[in-house]
Amino acid sequence: MQEAELHDLSDDADYAASQQEGSASMMRCYSSKLSTSSETEGAEIVYLKDNVAIHPTQYASERISGRLKLIKQGSALFMTWIPYKRQSTNAKLSEKDRNLYTIRAVPFADVRSIRRHTPALGWQYIIVVLSSGRNRKLYTVFSWLVVYQVEQMTFDVACSTSTYDVQLIFINCFSGLAFPPLYFYNGGVREFLTTIKQHVFLVRSVEDTNVFLLNDFQNPLQRTLSSLGLPRVVSIPSMPSTPVLARESTSHENQERTDVGVSDVSASIPQYNGRRRQKFHDPARDISIQVLEKFSFVTKFARETTSQLFRESHSNGFRPLERRKSNQSDDYSHKPSDDAEGVAVQSPVAPDPVEVYVCSLCQLIALCNNASAHLSMESVLGHGPTGIWFSTSIPGNLMPTSILVEQKVPYREHNRDGEAGTNVGTFELISYKEFDKLSLVWGKPRQPPLGLEEWATFLDSEGRVVDSKALRKRIFYGGIEHKLRKEVWAILLGYHTYESTYAERKHQRSIKNIEYETIKSQWQSISAAQAKRFTKFRERKVLIEKDVVRTDKSLSFYDGDDNPNVNLLRDILLTYSFYNFDLGYCQGMSDLLSPILFVMEDESESFWCFVALMECLGPNFNRDQSGVHSQLFALSKLVELLDNPLHNYFKQNDCLNYFFCFRWMLIQFKRELEYEKTMRLWEVLWTHYLSEHFHLYVGVAILKRYRGKIIGEQMDFDTLIRFINELSGRIDLDATLRDAEALCICAGEKGADCIPPGTPPSLPVDNGLLYSQQDEVL
Amino acid sequence: MASRRRMLLKVIILGDSGYVNRKFSNQYKATIGADFLTKEVQFDDRLFTLQIWDTAGQERFQSLGVAFYRGADCCVLVHDVNVMKSFDNLNNWREEFLIQASPSDPENFPFVVLGNKVDVDGGNSRVVSEKKAKAWCASKGNIPYFETSAKEGFNVDAAFECIARNALKNEPEEEM
Repeated sequence: MQEAELHDLSDDADYAASQQEGSASMMRCYSSKLSTSSETEGAEIVYLKDNVAIHPTQYASERISGRLKLIKQGSALFMTWIPYKRQSTNAKLSEKDRNLYTIRAVPFADVRSIRRHTPALGWQYIIVVLSSGRNRKLYTVFSWLVVYQVEQMTFDVACSTSTYDVQLIFINCFSGLAFPPLYFYNGGVREFLTTIKQHVFLVRSVEDTNVFLLNDFQNPLQRTLSSLGLPRVVSIPSMPSTPVLARESTSHENQERTDVGVSDVSASIPQYNGRRRQKFHDPARDISIQVLEKFSFVTKFARETTSQLFRESHSNGFRPLERRKSNQSDDYSHKPSDDAEGVAVQSPVAPDPVEVYVCSLCQLIALCNNASAHLSMESVLGHGPTGIWFSTSIPGNLMPTSILVEQKVPYREHNRDGEAGTNVGTFELISYKEFDKLSLVWGKPRQPPLGLEEWATFLDSEGRVVDSKALRKRIFYGGIEHKLRKEVWAILLGYHTYESTYAERKHQRSIKNIEYETIKSQWQSISAAQAKRFTKFRERKVLIEKDVVRTDKSLSFYDGDDNPNVNLLRDILLTYSFYNFDLGYCQGMSDLLSPILFVMEDESESFWCFVALMECLGPNFNRDQSGVHSQLFALSKLVELLDNPLHNYFKQNDCLNYFFCFRWMLIQFKRELEYEKTMRLWEVLWTHYLSEHFHLYVGVAILKRYRGKIIGEQMDFDTLIRFINELSGRIDLDATLRDAEALCICAGEKGADCIPPGTPPSLPVDNGLLYSQQDEVL
Repeated sequence: MASRRRMLLKVIILGDSGYVNRKFSNQYKATIGADFLTKEVQFDDRLFTLQIWDTAGQERFQSLGVAFYRGADCCVLVHDVNVMKSFDNLNNWREEFLIQASPSDPENFPFVVLGNKVDVDGGNSRVVSEKKAKAWCASKGNIPYFETSAKEGFNVDAAFECIARNALKNEPEEEM
């Protein structure tokens, strides 16, 4: 197999040219001594190219340019790419971004392959794919790079009418982590490859002439693919790129190769079979580029998300299908199968989550590929600037006959002319009955919390928040450092306005303090004799006193007997029950107040922040529970939209009232998370950044995450209550937030339509009496 | 052969908020929504798992009962013998339960009444006498009555055994 790869390089004009330019016979050149004159032990730059750029967004104007270098040190070859300090195109490139994108001395030992793209139109670029599992330490850096890229990307992709285009890309890119594509604005891809060839072992893939393999070894993906018994897979040597692609690309690769160089000739884009002719003047808008980029990111997310899923699955004692089947792993290879059944029976090999995931996708693709599978994949991938989400089905049965691809989000109409082809669409692959299902959900990686210095940048000299949306976005993605919460919460909650100045806030504090004392004095002045004739007051007081002493006792701030903070809880709640006598006091309120007092550390400030919060959440405590009920209703609608199998399960098991999520809604997950995490979640929710009802998506995210367990264990309503209650303290907030974000974006307008008007924390629809007064007792 | 289903008994505990001692609750926090703990009870050489449900006590949460009380095998009404109001409310709780749970045979649905906190202040602050409580129980179809001190654990096991027996008694014959 190796030989087969080796000989294949010379059939390419480009390659042949490079052979002549460089040292001709350096194909197997691990030694440093062959091509360089210098024998020093120090580093030597063997290749340098300026104006090599990456495209963090789809817009060419936002590219980051830098210098690409190949450096030889001893026998090792390294690649670096350093962004310029001053960006002509994007002056605002921060030091942080620079650091994120910088590629520092990647040894070629860690590179698996390089994919070269030399489109007829637009700039040449390469995608460097890393070997998996070789260098953990490097990985984290790389992963972050890749993640960050996604963060900034608009997933504006690739709506093609053919299923087959997609699979190429799937397989092509699910092979490892990849750097963002590097665009050679001054040309030089050929020299780059030539230079590499002089120093390390480089072979051209037999399947794809644009792919060059380094450190070629039997890779797990290949085994995985083989194990699936995919047609055309079995006999193919190890190569991340596209066993299936081979079929697609052979027909036109010659044509591609002759299109080398930049010209104005409109030509077919590689991988697109020459069927569609696209005109793109911005290389970053090239469909194939985008799709490839995206899937290179997906790889990273797949790893992260899947390992997470697996971790949780295991801790739940829930064994996913893949694992159960992994013991058949040796039984891969030589079983070419022409039918989908054959594909489905085969199992993944490797326990590595990514590979398992890859597998499941490949299986799916194989199924899609099969004409008998009922599938129409109209739109591919991608949604929104921040996250993508899709679910994939894993055949768990012999009869993979009904995969559906469901369009989840309305997408722009297909424009078949001109710039067609790009389209925003999100799909979910849904399987019914015959398949187990593994869902992968991801959103942006969380950022570090907003700190003091950064906070100052959001304010003008007098303390006004200049760009409230930017602030809310920042907090949405990272939360707030604890010591800053006191100041920012008051604004987030609406106690102070974003437009207020330092002076105005200070003024308001003193005014409001007086007002608070006035209301407080109303109940403080009630004498024992008066109280005796004031049952409602007495009972409220007793109820509050009973609750505050069992509110967050585990926290030192509230522990012990006669804790002054507990007394503050009591006083504030009693005062609130006078401020809002119609609503009064209800269990759960002490849970909502506790973190606020903990943060604000001031009675009056806490009271007014609590008042602001209760403006939104008050209806949760209505006697008729209307606030919670409308949220539970919306939650059920969202699950129906975003996780239909789970919805169906709940429906069949008479669980559609979602009362098992009652506590989540009533006190905003306060009992579900550790104290610090509760505060983090709340400030994220209060930004109302993606949705006023983001907490509902948080709920969906959690349910979705445990869907396998819920359905797998056939939980009934009672068991569900127990299960949900016992998730308390075991919810990974960051992961959940990311899931929720992706779900929220995916749901889009349809999601918003699931939520009835006036659902908390939206303000009540009618402006009459805020709270019903039917409450007989309290 | 004892049917598997009957080994698990769903017991709902009701009473004025705050009077249910922490021992009946699995965390020292006001219950939001509903939660339950399980307790193994053995008698007549048989092992029962009591699923003891604690629901939010406050009246305005009662509308949830319709979901939480579903499938209950027994309802335990708790009052604080030191608080007359909690005793007076027993009737409300009982009726509310019957409405919400709508058992097939409300007349014979098994209740148990617990007079709790008999240990408080050496009994000096007691306002609901045993006689008064028993009289009410008798008027509601001979509901078994226990005086308990959850704090001391007094009589709690006896109460649970009775709960299990009671729930069993209510099972249809063919289940035996």
